[in-house]
Amino acid sequence: MDSFTVRKHYYPYVSPFDPCRPMQVKQYVTPPNLYINYQPPNLPQFTPREALRAGTLWKAFYDPYVSPYKQRE
Amino acid sequence: MAQKQLPKEFYKSMEELQAVDFVILELTLYLDTHPNDEQAIQQFNHMTQVKQHLMYQVEQYYGPLQQFGNSYSGSPWNWKDAPWPWQI
Repeated sequence: MDSFTVRKHYYPYVSPFDPCRPMQVKQYVTPPNLYINYQPPNLPQFTPREALRAGTLWKAFYDPYVSPYKQRE
Repeated sequence: MAQKQLPKEFYKSMEELQAVDFVILELTLYLDTHPNDEQAIQQFNHMTQVKQHLMYQVEQYYGPLQQFGNSYSGSPWNWKDAPWPWQI
């Protein structure tokens, strides 16, 4: 099984009469807290200053959203 | 006459205070669901102590940060003076 990633994809149905260039695969990003049920104690943490920028204290929950479609333009 | 400007040191310790505040907030939310996590409680108490010290420092430059007995007042009564929190 390849490496785990929070980025998932699916293949939408493309109609033969689709006027625009069809998107063969569409991606979406899932938040990390879906995969952590009950937060275990003593998870690795950011320093206070980093945590303020990152938006979370624990590295496991850091979730910078990078649009999967950015590289498409 | 020009308004008083805050010194550079204020901004540095204010950012530290904001960072410590954020850590305390995260730990509070974490401890709500993990009441027996000793290590987190110890970190929370340490951070609270750091915050008290930082607040004292920031209030030397800025004036009272909170009201109703949570901060000492300067004289004259200065909690209403500029800059307000969104103006700093």
